[in-house]
Amino acid sequence: MSNLATTRRAKKKSYGPYGKLGQTLGELDDRVGIAKGGRTFLDKIFPDHWSFMLGEIALYSFVILLATGVFLTLYYIPSSAIVTYHGSYAPLVGQKVTQAFASTVDLSFKVRAGLLMRQMHHWACDIFVGAIVVHMARVFFTGAFRKPRELNWTIGATLLILAIVNGFLGYSLPDDLVSGTGIRIAYSIILSVPLVGTYLAFWIFGGNFPGTAIIPRFFILHVLIVPAIIVTLVTVHMVLLVRQKHTQFPGEGRTEKNVVGAPMFPVFMAKTTGFLFIVTGFTALLSAFAQINPIWQFGPYDAARISYAVQPDWYMGFLDGALRIWPSWSFHSFGHTIPLEVTIPAVILPGLIFNLVFLWPALERKFTGDHAMHNLLDRPSDRPKRTAAGASIFALLAILFVASSTDVIANFFHVSLETVLWSMRVLTFIVPFVTYPITYKICKEMQGTKGAGKRKTANIVTRTEQGEYVATPAPAYVDDQSHELMPTEVPTFITATETETDDPGVRTVER
Amino acid sequence: MRTSPHLLQRLSSLVLLAVVVMGPLVLFTTGAHASNNPNQQPLYQTARRNAGTPNSDHVTKDPSTGAIISYGNSAITYSAPSPALAQLGEALYQQNCASCHGNEANGVPANGTSGAYPNLVGLGPATIDFWVESGRMPAADPRSVQAPRRFARLTHDQALAIAAWVTSLDPTAYPYIPDPHLKKANVAEGAALFALNCAACHTIEGDGDALAQSTFAPSLRNIPAVQVAEAIRTGPANMPRFTGNLSDWQVNDIVKYVTTEIQHPNNPGGFGLGGLGPVAEGFVGLALGVGLLALVGYWVGERQ
Amino acid sequence: MSDTHEQRTPVTLNGLSQDDPHLQPAARHPETVERVIAVSLAIGLVLTALFGYCFWVNAKPWTLGATMGGGLSFIGFGLVAWGKYLMPRGPFVEERHTLANSEQDRDAFAAAIIERGGSVVKRRKMLGGLLGGGLGVFSIVALFPLLRSLGPLPKGTLFHTDWRKGTFAVDQTGRRVHVDDLTIGSIVTVFPEGTENTDRGQAVNQTVLIRLSNENFVTQKGRENWAPKGYVAYSKLCTHLGCPVGLYEQQLEMLVCPCHQSMFDVTNGAIPQFGPAPRPLPQLPLYIDASGYVRSQRGYDEPVGPGFWERS
Repeated sequence: MSNLATTRRAKKKSYGPYGKLGQTLGELDDRVGIAKGGRTFLDKIFPDHWSFMLGEIALYSFVILLATGVFLTLYYIPSSAIVTYHGSYAPLVGQKVTQAFASTVDLSFKVRAGLLMRQMHHWACDIFVGAIVVHMARVFFTGAFRKPRELNWTIGATLLILAIVNGFLGYSLPDDLVSGTGIRIAYSIILSVPLVGTYLAFWIFGGNFPGTAIIPRFFILHVLIVPAIIVTLVTVHMVLLVRQKHTQFPGEGRTEKNVVGAPMFPVFMAKTTGFLFIVTGFTALLSAFAQINPIWQFGPYDAARISYAVQPDWYMGFLDGALRIWPSWSFHSFGHTIPLEVTIPAVILPGLIFNLVFLWPALERKFTGDHAMHNLLDRPSDRPKRTAAGASIFALLAILFVASSTDVIANFFHVSLETVLWSMRVLTFIVPFVTYPITYKICKEMQGTKGAGKRKTANIVTRTEQGEYVATPAPAYVDDQSHELMPTEVPTFITATETETDDPGVRTVER
Repeated sequence: MRTSPHLLQRLSSLVLLAVVVMGPLVLFTTGAHASNNPNQQPLYQTARRNAGTPNSDHVTKDPSTGAIISYGNSAITYSAPSPALAQLGEALYQQNCASCHGNEANGVPANGTSGAYPNLVGLGPATIDFWVESGRMPAADPRSVQAPRRFARLTHDQALAIAAWVTSLDPTAYPYIPDPHLKKANVAEGAALFALNCAACHTIEGDGDALAQSTFAPSLRNIPAVQVAEAIRTGPANMPRFTGNLSDWQVNDIVKYVTTEIQHPNNPGGFGLGGLGPVAEGFVGLALGVGLLALVGYWVGERQ
Repeated sequence: MSDTHEQRTPVTLNGLSQDDPHLQPAARHPETVERVIAVSLAIGLVLTALFGYCFWVNAKPWTLGATMGGGLSFIGFGLVAWGKYLMPRGPFVEERHTLANSEQDRDAFAAAIIERGGSVVKRRKMLGGLLGGGLGVFSIVALFPLLRSLGPLPKGTLFHTDWRKGTFAVDQTGRRVHVDDLTIGSIVTVFPEGTENTDRGQAVNQTVLIRLSNENFVTQKGRENWAPKGYVAYSKLCTHLGCPVGLYEQQLEMLVCPCHQSMFDVTNGAIPQFGPAPRPLPQLPLYIDASGYVRSQRGYDEPVGPGFWERS
């Protein structure tokens, strides 16, 4: 190394073979020592199956959330102090509203690009949680959570919970009629916890509902505490991913011991940066043409006001659905009440589901006895029991989500409310139990069928002179055949001497 | 030249008098709809009991018969349909309504096979006018739990005629047909009142929704101002009757809010997604947002 | 060796030549693709600049979103297409290194913690115990400021409202409700006089006043004089989750909670007929005073709102 340094110092006026940029990189390496690690990082191979892009949608939505969120914090005032609205929206002029609400309305109408930022922030949140769920489903159904990636699965599940919580906190900040109703319901759910419910509720809210503390507290949780945890966990999530290397589907040249795909620089960086722009662009387009959360139409929150057809944002919908369909069983004796009609659907049910999610890798290890390392993914149909179980849980959550709009369904289909509710109660039990065997059967069928999931080629029917019909399969479509080459190592672009050490990062350069 | 102290004294006491007399008047009139506490207006404090009836409002009577032709105030004027229409109204009634509501509009009580057809006598012209002009009556399906709004089969004049005849059976039935003076209404007051009194059934966006036992609150998106006022004052079907708890000024404000903000909402953010709130937003976010991006991801990635 | 740019001929280490198919672009006609990408990037540039213009002139929000969205999308498409079609197509491979270290390293690691640590603590178990105890207690009491400092103790707050003997029922404008105000089928939200503009007034005290008849109305045994002249009052806080039960169907004489569609029968003490609400809405006993104003006889006989542990 030292002769390199003297060589450089001796030729101070001339830049090395890589010009000024190379010189700068060298200076950086002098101080930080990044050359070897940086080279290894740039050479990293990323498998680029399309289903691996789903996590990127989540990541880039989060980036949008951070960027737009910073903008919003510059204008939003997290205060429950009452002010008189004197802005440009006539139906609110003269009404007594909280500063939180007034500042959000001003953001929408007075601040330049404020409405765009608000809408992008809210749409990005819906997409963020949606992408996490879809990404999680991909990881689950392909078995990517197995050893050595159980820790990443746990981190990911935690991120899902944090994203949902932060979303709830965020849309409650404007203190409008719709989200305020959600806060009231949250207060009652906390209240329903046995033994400590009243204490927890009074402490979190600073007293009885609504109080003036909850909006500032939600604010600091939403912009500082929870995002800090999310950023930390996302960083650990990605560091683990880079260290353990991404999983890949089995195929040509792909083994448990290698990774096949595109190198980090320049191909993967180009594609992923482009995808970042596309995600941001689509979110902006959605925010331009589809209105979301028009809080000025809802008006400020007032504990005596309520609107019909109010639901939480979609990712909380399963909780609302569970609360609607659960019967009114309240446990009441010995001078105490346990409001089971609240505790079971809102505390115990999500607790059970998330515990199942967290414990799944351990459960699968136990039930399959499989403690091996897995870097190759399963096709979902290869593991029918896992796929069917996942599909059942998904179906349960989907039905609960649908149950959160019983009144909208009743109105749309002109069916009575009571009929819809009873249907939902029945479906919640039937659908998951029916989904399991159906999914299992489909997987088994796909396993047994050759060419499952691929396009069926036509049969060419010809008629012989005797009048007999003969059917022969057509040749496979050109596009269906793999034209892939066998993978090779990343080229280095440097002339090497014969002395090659064991350490792949060291190159001796001859000039 | 110095003004004498005597003159000064006189002038100042005149000014004082003017301020004391004119001041409250000025404050009273200009402060009427622009107070800084919209929930406590001096005018609303004097809201009439049984508002919608000719209590001490400005009342116009027919000089010959003494019957009340109209009553009202600066917010709403209530007028009776002209009694001259009653004869035409009776004919129209017998053709369109008598088969269910009876020849004397007394209604038919519920029996084993059908529900009750209400007694119309004493309901007032506003009620009749509302049901007929909104197309709910004549009922397309008399057995339905709640008659929906439809294309009106009778014209405005025909509706008035039927109302005139039913009113003639009991001239003391109130309210008369309201005419809200929207120019004097305060839309911010209307918004606050709507949120407290109306949004619970009709939703804050005014889209309506399903209620208990196959009843429903209809959408408010396509209703003329008069019918809004009629509905509030008469409480059709399962809708509560807002009489003494809402003054005419408050009703006027609500009508203005409904006919402006509800029916022509301010959607600067783009397509309003039907005002269905987070459910619709969730579908759009998942299908268009995540779905389209996943499709793009299908292009970005490989298919090996 | 010279330092000039031209004489530097990159030759790959692992034997790949410049013509190797792995290094060729994936597109069959790279020139055409390049033109398409150029157009896409150019449109993106124009649209992004247009965003700047729209912002400058304070154009409508949808133009800001459309130009930014379109601009970024086109740039993104161009960049992705460049990476996908014009850059070396690969595929490239990399070996996975075993994450686990050697047995020796693992043993050394475990030994560093267990042996070294153990040798220090082994004969000083009492110290270890005390230290553990101290840390344990600290981890519990550290939670105290995060909980108790945040708010007051609930005590009896949830058990009382501001309705007392003789409280006037007022609507949200502060106007006292008179017996002649409502007709049969009317509903109004009322509060104890003086609390209609406070948070607590609205959140806890909110009550619906409904007129069911012109005569005294008996909702249940023992409540014979609670609803004078047909004025019946129930707490507006739903016993399920506390939403205001503002939805009244006058012909069905049913209060419906808009949140989760619990239905309460107003004629028999607001007993829930359907939906998840577990208890009837508490009824407020009323009386009409000499001037005809509606007033409460006393407060509610039970806590209003949703259930909690201490509620007997």
